[in-house]
Amino acid sequence: MTSIPIDRPLAVPADNTYDDPTRRAPLIVGGHDFASLTDAVCAVIERPRPPRAWYIAFGISVLTLTMLGAMIGYLILTGTGVWGINIPVAWGFAIVNFVFWVGIGHAGTLISAILFLLRQKWRTSINRAAEAMTIFAVICAGMFPGIHIGRVWLSYWMFPIPNQMELWPQFRSPLLWDVFAVGTYFTVSLLFWYVGMIPDLATLRDRATTRTRQMVYGIFSLGWRGANRHWHVYERAYLILAALATPLVLSVHSVVSFDFAVAQLPGWHTTIFPPYFVAGAIFSGFAMVQTLVIPARQFFGLRDIITMRHLENMNKIILVTGSMVGYAYAIEFFISWYSGNVFESFAFINRAFGPYWWAYWIMVSCNVLSPQIFWFKWARTSIPIMFVVSILVNIGMWFERFVIVTTLSSDFLPTSWGYYTPTIIDILTLIGSFGLFFTLFLLFCRFIPFIAMAEVKGVLPQAHAHGAGTPGFQPGRQGSGAESPTSPARGKEHH
Amino acid sequence: MPSMNGTAQKSALGATGKLGLPVVDQHSALEPRASEALAHGTRKLSGKEYWRSLEEYSQTPEFMELVEREFPALLEDVITPQNRRSFLKLMGASLALAGFGLASGCRRWPDEKIAPFAHRPEGYVPGTSVPFATSWDLGGYGRGLIAKSYDGRPIKLEGNELHPINGGRVTVAGQEFAAGTTDAITQAQILSFYDPERSRHPQERQFEAGTERVGVLGAPRTMDEFKAWARPYFDAMANSRGSGLAILTGASSSPSFADMKRRFAAKFPSAAWYEWEPISRDNEIAGAELAFGRAFRPQYNFANADVIVALDSDFLLSHPAALKHARDFASRRRDPQRGMSRLYAIEGTLSVTGSNADHRLAVNTRYVGAVAFRLATHLDASGVAGIGTTGGVEDRTDEISLFIQALGADLVASQGRSIIVAGPRQPAEIHALVHAMNAALGNVGQTVSYTIEPEYERQPHADSIRALADAMHDGSVQTLLIMGCNPVYDAPDDVNFPDAMMGVPTSIHLSLYDDETSAKCNWHVPAQHFLEEWGTTRAWDGTIAPIQPIIEPLYGGLSWSDMLALAAGDASDGYQIVRRWFDEEIGGDEAVWRTMLHDGVLVNSVWPVEESAAVGDWWSDIDIRSLSRGWAGSGYELIFAQSASIYDGRFANNGWLQEMPDPIGKFCWDNAAYMNPATAEKLGVGAHDMVHLGVGGANGPTLKMPVHIVPMLADDSITVHLGYGRWRAGHIGDGVGFNTFVLRTTDAMHFTSAVVEKAEGSHALATVQDHHSMDARTTRESTQERLPQIVREATLAQFLDNLEHGAGAFHDPAHHEHHLPIVSLWREEKFEGADHHWAMAIDLNSCIGCSACMIACQAENNVPVVGKDQVMRGREMHWIRVDRYFRGDPDHADIAFQPVTCQQCENAPCEQVCPVAATTHDAGGLNVMIYNRCVGTRYCSNNCPYKVRRFNFYDWHVEDPRKDGLKAPSLTIPDAAHAGAFEGGNAVKKLGMNPEVTVRSRGVMEKCSFCLQRINQAKIDLKNQWMTDRGNGWPRIPDGEITPACAGACPTQAIIFGDLKDPNSRVSLLHRDARAYSLLEELNTKPRNKFLGKVRNTNDALSAHPAGAGSTGDTGGAGGEVH
Repeated sequence: MTSIPIDRPLAVPADNTYDDPTRRAPLIVGGHDFASLTDAVCAVIERPRPPRAWYIAFGISVLTLTMLGAMIGYLILTGTGVWGINIPVAWGFAIVNFVFWVGIGHAGTLISAILFLLRQKWRTSINRAAEAMTIFAVICAGMFPGIHIGRVWLSYWMFPIPNQMELWPQFRSPLLWDVFAVGTYFTVSLLFWYVGMIPDLATLRDRATTRTRQMVYGIFSLGWRGANRHWHVYERAYLILAALATPLVLSVHSVVSFDFAVAQLPGWHTTIFPPYFVAGAIFSGFAMVQTLVIPARQFFGLRDIITMRHLENMNKIILVTGSMVGYAYAIEFFISWYSGNVFESFAFINRAFGPYWWAYWIMVSCNVLSPQIFWFKWARTSIPIMFVVSILVNIGMWFERFVIVTTLSSDFLPTSWGYYTPTIIDILTLIGSFGLFFTLFLLFCRFIPFIAMAEVKGVLPQAHAHGAGTPGFQPGRQGSGAESPTSPARGKEHH
Repeated sequence: MPSMNGTAQKSALGATGKLGLPVVDQHSALEPRASEALAHGTRKLSGKEYWRSLEEYSQTPEFMELVEREFPALLEDVITPQNRRSFLKLMGASLALAGFGLASGCRRWPDEKIAPFAHRPEGYVPGTSVPFATSWDLGGYGRGLIAKSYDGRPIKLEGNELHPINGGRVTVAGQEFAAGTTDAITQAQILSFYDPERSRHPQERQFEAGTERVGVLGAPRTMDEFKAWARPYFDAMANSRGSGLAILTGASSSPSFADMKRRFAAKFPSAAWYEWEPISRDNEIAGAELAFGRAFRPQYNFANADVIVALDSDFLLSHPAALKHARDFASRRRDPQRGMSRLYAIEGTLSVTGSNADHRLAVNTRYVGAVAFRLATHLDASGVAGIGTTGGVEDRTDEISLFIQALGADLVASQGRSIIVAGPRQPAEIHALVHAMNAALGNVGQTVSYTIEPEYERQPHADSIRALADAMHDGSVQTLLIMGCNPVYDAPDDVNFPDAMMGVPTSIHLSLYDDETSAKCNWHVPAQHFLEEWGTTRAWDGTIAPIQPIIEPLYGGLSWSDMLALAAGDASDGYQIVRRWFDEEIGGDEAVWRTMLHDGVLVNSVWPVEESAAVGDWWSDIDIRSLSRGWAGSGYELIFAQSASIYDGRFANNGWLQEMPDPIGKFCWDNAAYMNPATAEKLGVGAHDMVHLGVGGANGPTLKMPVHIVPMLADDSITVHLGYGRWRAGHIGDGVGFNTFVLRTTDAMHFTSAVVEKAEGSHALATVQDHHSMDARTTRESTQERLPQIVREATLAQFLDNLEHGAGAFHDPAHHEHHLPIVSLWREEKFEGADHHWAMAIDLNSCIGCSACMIACQAENNVPVVGKDQVMRGREMHWIRVDRYFRGDPDHADIAFQPVTCQQCENAPCEQVCPVAATTHDAGGLNVMIYNRCVGTRYCSNNCPYKVRRFNFYDWHVEDPRKDGLKAPSLTIPDAAHAGAFEGGNAVKKLGMNPEVTVRSRGVMEKCSFCLQRINQAKIDLKNQWMTDRGNGWPRIPDGEITPACAGACPTQAIIFGDLKDPNSRVSLLHRDARAYSLLEELNTKPRNKFLGKVRNTNDALSAHPAGAGSTGDTGGAGGEVH
């Protein structure tokens, strides 16, 4: 695959992964200025045809998405029995997939909200894609609780909708908390994503060469003119949404973990679940960002903007959260032994050495062992290694949820123990959810700026008129729009 | 304001409020208090308005509060003024919901026409059930029933309390009550009755002489066509006095049928009669004849027995009087403080009786007789006179000798209070020896009595079928009339019945199904089911009971008597045949007849005790060495056992029975070769592996079937169940399991030596327990670790000792485990205002594990059948299951049964997690399931520690249970799938549904409700009663008035239901019993069901013996002591 031809050839990326404390590493390499950056990002959207790889990927994704539709149709027409679930394992792939996808979403919010509040400027290159990933992952996640129930056509009963029966949801149920938690999360994430996108959409509008593009981007850019007042309001709104989204990073997966922790099953009923789930979610989310961003920066010629330093930083987070997850696994074991509870200790021994031992050890090797390679810088900066590790982590985190859900198979009374074997429908539905995810993500790549241009420009040295090398776009700190950097869109106009 | 006069106020009523509530004029002349009240009103009155009180009138704060309390939802919508916004909100939501609900809103209901009664029949109250007394005959022994009929449809069978086999007085917690019990097979007869595949019309088949009778399609005929053929055919035979006519029937106890037989025989004296039952007691009869000179039938009274010895006998389950035995046996197990009986079992297989034994000796079936002789010798040497064995006591210390010494000492100490009983597999001599031992021990007249054995002079069944087959081969049978039995399928292999059929020019088969035998007969004629025929039965003890038709025959058909009457040119119908017998042989007036029909039993029909039964000088004729085939044999032995569910295969097309797990093996929809772990290891086979079983030498028949490994069996003993592998049973029963009848020969009907070797291939069994976890060491160890907590047990000595010292009944000093005080996260419901606190108690000491409760529940609650494939996927639907645990190491295990149903937790984990509140508590404290509200998240099942909730993964009621694998979309109702095989199948099946219980749809969770419909029926009855004789205050529902289906069927009445609010109810007393415990009580679920722990009455002399030691080692255990 050849790289995309843009206005001027990209320089070979300079190494910005050095650890010399006296020199601040540049966030963007390749000598970009505002215009070249805009060109580079917009080129992805504005070129007449996307690269052939996009078509192939999109074709596969849409086919997979169609398969998902067929699977759901078959499920609804036939019954939940087409899955491998049973009594005692009444939850199977659907819930595993739900938790997996919700978890994936967390990295996006963490990057866009928490890193924003913590002034981590390196986030600007990846936050748009990460947020998009969040939205799409939550869409995939949200689908599963809806279709996993026995009477899909009544799934709206789980929402507090006024109705003539005067029946309300049962507020003690963690499943209902899920409805609120995931619903809120999706809403806030979508708003946050969209608000952050407005200046970039305006850029696209201004650069549009066809009437349709002009209209569509015009509508979605909400009349953005880059006025000082616009920037002022925008930055305030962005800050507020970041503040709103931040607790959600912690709350959503905590609530999801309550689905298990509030139940009284051995292996589920543990207080460690909320923090452990959040750590796991961030872990898996960063891995998914890596999985998406590594090929994207390659194919779309964005290696200068999403630099090796970005990837390395994310690898460090993967190492940290992976170790946290490993610690959680160890503590679970310790506590189950320390509790002296026969059910509890068996649940964990059974996880590791029972009928699902293979799933457990896939989980441990992928989640705990594989990121340990990131202690080494050469591994943190090696594209093949980090790509493989990111895939392994995704697999491992899926298996983590699988291990947790299949703990159901052996609870209190040995006579009720069972074994869960997924059917082909289960597996195809899981694959199909990736079809949905990648279809949305590929559409995103094609029609929405992959990089938050306005924000990246803010961290370019040029943005800071008086301090060369100190990036300037720090909306949270700046009191007035007057100190804002030149609007990228406007900059383009001047150009 | 009661003093206010409405008419006086009318003038004051002027304006009307916006909402139509009247408003009052402040200046009206009213009495002071009223005007004060009205002063709060703000609106004018006009026109005619009616009001209830002045407070209402004026909308005082008090009144508003009252309304608010009564109609909280009205507060927002009605009492506060409506506005446009709220209207729009409600409408918007409603429209949105209408959109959401499209799937359900646009459902098309079938267009159906109904024909209501223009004139209601007298005495008929729609929607109420009417009980009829009736009975039925299985294998020649009657059982007394009550058939519950709704709108003319029988939907449930119960045991008749007045019938001595099925019913009697039972004492639980010191309170005596009448119980009518049944077994699983009886419970399932409702489903057989509504089986859409029962034969509906006669079938005529033509065969070319001498050919294999296969592949010939028959022509359907009407019953009139058959009769038109049969009448002249049999008339023509009258001249030859019926020579060349052979009649083969199953066993029948019916005196009215016997009467009809005599009349038939009078017309056709040369006709030959044969009788065939694959499961037969012929050895017992022969043994009694040997001992007494003529056969007497032993009647056991296990209620008076202190020591019971079962020699390869399953008297608790596979005996014509098993229900009575179980009831009596339980009466001496239920109350350990009052003395328990002690049961010893000596057997090669593992029977339900053996699994309830306090001490069990596993020896090969062929050596059971030898053990019996050694026991007799030991008794003789111990001074028990009169057995007549000779030879000294062998002074050995092996396991068997120790067992015999301990058992012998126990028997000697309990003379006159013991019973020795041998099973039908054992040869006649062993039965004779047992009669001699019982007599010598002084048991006769105390615990054992003898009555006549009717028709004992008939040929044994094996001889009978051989004689018939020989006659058929000879060509001496011109006409063969078969009624009931299915010899083409179940006759011994060596008589080669299908071949013999080729020599018979004309054959007629009267049977419920167009089965294997029908296919080889010229005529198949549908038989009547016992629920639609007239007849009589005679029980094990001689009790005569009527069979009454509860419903018009669904498909016509003839009863056995009808068939004989038709052939004999007797114009009597079923009623007349029974009535004629009654008038001629019983006599008595109409009142006696009516009483018999009403009560379901004929008074004074029990056979008198034969005092003359004395063991004769039989011993001198016996050569011990030649006593039993195979005593000296070695190698593998094959034991034939009756199936606990489908009997001898005649119920193979009954889905409930096919899906009932074997009490021991705990798998369904199959049979397998049971062997113990050591034998399996020797053969090199594991679970799912196949073995070749061969009998009768190199050219003998062989069968390849799967292995099931069961601890506690004797080494080298392989048990196989009969009744599987049918090929014309019907859609449900065809090809289920493996036909073990092919291994059975007339000289080895019960057990035989066999050649066994590992075979290729594998066959998965649909186990309902231990799915995939049988072999895992960790799971086995963990099971053993938690078992003392789940099934609590103690030896009698420990139990009494603990009681004396004030410790918990199952407290074991070796285990001191304490847990923190249990605190609930939620505010716990106390149910203080409830009228009733429904509860259950299940006595593990009484439960014998027979599984009758499962099928009773299935019949009562419309529980669907899911099929083998779905059971293997872990989706069986039984609301009550019988858990079976083995304790200890596999070589010396104990077994325990524990029926588990919804525990109706007061603090129910399922309720807290349901997002739509589909499972909640009712006022009586029951955890109820609202099927309409359930959306099927299945979270409740996940959080249920007892895993008693069942999910409708498909619409089971329209699914085909025999279809494997993934289901096709159920867009078409699969009546179409049944077309051809059995048209209109679902329509017939619907008739058998209990109208009181919702039939659950797909995607809905379901579970035990403690038979809520029965509770409510009792309440309704009580209220009706109160309406007629009111004034005596509100009555309480008497204890025992409500019986859930499982409790009603339970042969030992191990399940007791009642009201905890009544401190003297049986269930209250049992909940306070020293043995009572809650399952997993440390989870603070506060179950409304309590188990009563198991107490084993072990013999100290054997407690070192591993078989007994297992039960004494670690009793109590974790959770045994709760503070």
